[in-house]
Amino acid sequence: MRRSLQRLAMVVLLLLAVSMLTFVAMNVLGDPLFNILGPIAGDTENPESIAKIEAAKAQYYLDKPLPERYVRWLGDFVQGDMGVRFASDGQPPVTGLIKERLPRSLVLMGMAQAMALLIAIPWGISSAAGSLGGVDTGPRSWRFLVPFALKATAVTYFAQSLFGSVVGVVMLSWFIALLLAHQFAETVPAARELVDGVNKTMSGFSSALSFGFISMPNFALAVSLYYVFALKQGWFPLRYDASDGFFTRMWQLFLPALTLALPGSAVYQRLLRTDLITTLQEDFILMARAKGVSKRRVLFRHALRPSMFSVITVFGINAGALVGGALVVETFFGIPGIGTAVVEAILREDFPVVLAIVMIVATGFVVLNFLVDLLYSVLDPRVRS
Amino acid sequence: MNNPDVLLDVSDYSVGFRTERGLAQVVDKVSFQIERGKTLGIVGESGSGKSVLNRSLMGLISSNRQIESGSAFFAGDQLVGRDRQDFWGKRIGMIFQDPMTSLNPVMRIGRQLFEPLKQHLSMNKEQASQRAIELLTQVGIPEPARRLRQYPHELSGGMRQRVMIAIALAGEPELLIADEPTTALDVTVQKYILDLLKDLQTEIGMSVILITHDLGVARGRTDEIMVMYGGRMMELAPSEELFSDMSHPYTEALFSAIPRVDQPKHTRLTPIAGAPPDPVEPPSGCRFSPRCVYAQQDCTINLPEADGPGDHKFACFYPVNTDDGRSARAANIENGQTATGLKIQTAGVS
Amino acid sequence: MSQDVSTGGVIEAIEPEGAQAGIVKKTLGPGFWLAVGWIVLIVLLAVLAPVLPLKDPNANFIDIQGKGRPPYGPSGDHWLGSDQDARDMLSRTIYGARVSLVVGFSAVAFGFTIGGTIGLVSGFVRGMFDKITSFIMLVLLSFPALILAILITSLMERSLLTIALTLGILSVAPVGRLARSASLVFSEREFVLAARTMGAKPSHIMLRELLPNVLIPMSALALLGTAVAIVAEGGLAFLGLSVEKGSTWGKLILTGAQTRQLEEAPWIAFVPITALFLTVMALNFAGDRLREYFDVRELAL
Ligand SMILES: Nc1ncnc2c1ncn2[C@@H]1O[C@H](COP(=O)(O)OP(=O)(O)OP(=O)(O)O)[C@@H](O)[C@H]1O
Ligand code: SF4
Ligand SMILES: [Mg+2]
Repeated sequence: MRRSLQRLAMVVLLLLAVSMLTFVAMNVLGDPLFNILGPIAGDTENPESIAKIEAAKAQYYLDKPLPERYVRWLGDFVQGDMGVRFASDGQPPVTGLIKERLPRSLVLMGMAQAMALLIAIPWGISSAAGSLGGVDTGPRSWRFLVPFALKATAVTYFAQSLFGSVVGVVMLSWFIALLLAHQFAETVPAARELVDGVNKTMSGFSSALSFGFISMPNFALAVSLYYVFALKQGWFPLRYDASDGFFTRMWQLFLPALTLALPGSAVYQRLLRTDLITTLQEDFILMARAKGVSKRRVLFRHALRPSMFSVITVFGINAGALVGGALVVETFFGIPGIGTAVVEAILREDFPVVLAIVMIVATGFVVLNFLVDLLYSVLDPRVRS
Repeated sequence: MNNPDVLLDVSDYSVGFRTERGLAQVVDKVSFQIERGKTLGIVGESGSGKSVLNRSLMGLISSNRQIESGSAFFAGDQLVGRDRQDFWGKRIGMIFQDPMTSLNPVMRIGRQLFEPLKQHLSMNKEQASQRAIELLTQVGIPEPARRLRQYPHELSGGMRQRVMIAIALAGEPELLIADEPTTALDVTVQKYILDLLKDLQTEIGMSVILITHDLGVARGRTDEIMVMYGGRMMELAPSEELFSDMSHPYTEALFSAIPRVDQPKHTRLTPIAGAPPDPVEPPSGCRFSPRCVYAQQDCTINLPEADGPGDHKFACFYPVNTDDGRSARAANIENGQTATGLKIQTAGVS
Repeated sequence: MSQDVSTGGVIEAIEPEGAQAGIVKKTLGPGFWLAVGWIVLIVLLAVLAPVLPLKDPNANFIDIQGKGRPPYGPSGDHWLGSDQDARDMLSRTIYGARVSLVVGFSAVAFGFTIGGTIGLVSGFVRGMFDKITSFIMLVLLSFPALILAILITSLMERSLLTIALTLGILSVAPVGRLARSASLVFSEREFVLAARTMGAKPSHIMLRELLPNVLIPMSALALLGTAVAIVAEGGLAFLGLSVEKGSTWGKLILTGAQTRQLEEAPWIAFVPITALFLTVMALNFAGDRLREYFDVRELAL
């Protein structure tokens, strides 16, 4: 409790520092008056201009000293009024703009994080499962067959549509051969060797893939995914359109979210894999196996939860990187979210918007990491007491 | 082999591991039988292969570096070379040495206990929790209903070990393997747990393999005792016969290392000098020869096979209680060293 | 659990079989050298670009042999094709490397000098200095990096220097944090304590005892940091906010990323994407191997 309060105080202090820094930087490095009025701001001869200058100064409190303006701004901000925009005649006000843009970005980032976890958890588990050893899902059981069939269908379909039907047919025959190899693995040594070899190759492939995802800059990934899946394959819509219906819009967000999700999923997968391999060495895993729990259950129910700590820590940190990614991805896919808003605002020197967004992002980041801290105690009962 | 009373029949069972240095033969041609309702003690120093033997029999070591050979029939079913998932929990239960690490720290006791009940006895939630309470009561845990909602870290070591026993018994196995169930516990708790195991066994009528490195623990709680050293079986005998008529020098050495009440503290303790053998490059001949006070020249050349009259088997050319043995020892004491160069301090040997 | 002194080494825990575990000899591996090779190649190409027999990256080779309207696909003339203004992609990509690499390396150099020094000192002297610098780093870290970068670049003219400086400033905090934790750890080591009790000057201890040790984990971070800086520059360029003059990989990708370009001439985008990807991957891989080699935990991605 005491620790939580201390942390909370720290968080508030941190946010104050961030806001102050941004506020000062923008008022000192930039010239608000010029940003509002344009060239007129420098015109101190024309009485009409002077009137405008005075009016603007009064409206935006520019005649007041910096500390006072900061306090004013802060007071308004905590009450939900983020001020008046400099650009586009102040319309809509910053709060209105944020209200319109923020939910979209939140959905995008939420989708991305969810996708990242949805990809990373099965991926991490399957890449660590080898160190548990033992076959408890025989090749004839549906537990083996169903995922295998799904995997084969998906990969074949992918290969066929990306590289043509010849490759598709090759893929399909490959999977049939692999299935046969699994069938005879127990009796025919050559089949066993094939299966082992394939597993080994796949694990090498999986780690190369995750390394590739980590090393692919998000803008390059955006271009590549867009090219392959939207332009060439036509599986996804080319553009986001805010006037479309809800489900269409969600569908339009799929590819952008995937762009944000893939690097994250690779990071999570690597962390999860490392932690899982450590967890799988634990006595209680042996105990779980000895009491007859199935391999799948051992992995998902016994090993997964104690292996999630690094993932959720980085999950919180990654949220910060995601904001940067959202900037790029929203711009590229033409999604009017806070990412595009901040880019526009910076280019138009619309500082109240920038300030508001910086604050929202920083707050969101800090709060999320605070929640992650709480999540530890949910994951591990030992932390609670 | 056709004796219907025999639950587990192991013969010439070996386990090796492929390592960077070569093959580590960790279990070497072990043979024994366990009848239903009986207890076998497996005794040996650390590293003698007790755990590997049992985990491997149970199929829990699934490394592709492991090589298993020989045969092991469990109620007529061959275990070797097959996936043993069907046996886990349901026909063979297992409890481990360290109750602190063997329970899942992030799962409530209840769920850990329900799992085998639901899976092996197809119980629903209610039946499972009722049975779980019975089981916890049976292993002597107070306030069982409350414990179900607790996490392992809220329980003491002894309590956790009881929970582990309850979990292992939940699937109503025919054989329970207890791998040093008390080594990690306080001495006072140890006795309690061992007696509990004994009581439960008589109550349920299952067979038990009790693994320990302490001959004293096995005494009085087992029907038969197998002494292992360097992965090989040194001696196998009905419990009391082992103590009254021990034949193997290693058993004798182990026995003299037991803390005994009849001896004042400072005079006891003849820890066996030397270290256990390297499983990759074991000593030639008898595995124990480098540390054996009876060792003669031929011990380093020929490998003694476990053999003997009736159900008392031992693997030694110069058994303790025979003339051969006595003279071998006397000769070594006279030389001040054995054929392998082991120095003998006369004072230390009883 | 089952360690056996007599075997002259722990063989492998008996527990549930880290199937691949066992004794792994520590080497950097061929992959590391491959990665380093690629980095060296790119750096050499970038440095030597003016003297290499490359086409002028800014010349328009329109319709030399009546090939019609650009962009041209890869051919003997333009190995990697040309862009929509008929400029040679190969030489543009190589020249683009110059800016990307200069930004990457100098940003990291800046971040490491400042952040490394601050971290080293605060980890060693602790106390108030440490508290204050730690808080400043925390503040810096809670800014979304890319927003901060855009902010700075938008407030200043976008020259090579400002971009590199911006990214350098951004790397101060993460580098500082690592340097501080490494310095904290090593400050507790016997050799430092010994030097202290022998009355060595703090500056001497920091330079002679701490620095060499802190440098080891930092070298791995430097490679990873360069990758991050190159990517960040690319991101800025992609938003149209990087260096105004000259081409960078990010800018090249941006030119190729319009729907029309992608449809007609995907190579315009994918040549620089490939170069960027391989370079980033090589830096990441080399950094990762180094990290594993020196067994630096805090650096895990
Ligand atoms: N996976 C493995 N690969 C190679 N050697 C192994 C492996 N697992 C165990 N060993 C070796 O097998 C030997 C026997 O180990 P084991 O754990 O069975 O001994 P133990 O008798 O149970 O000892 P303790 O009393 O300490 O539990 C040890 O020397 C150990 O190093
Ligand atoms: S006397 Fe020989 S055979 Fe018997 S235990 Fe000693 S060394 Fe082995
Ligand atoms: Mg053991």
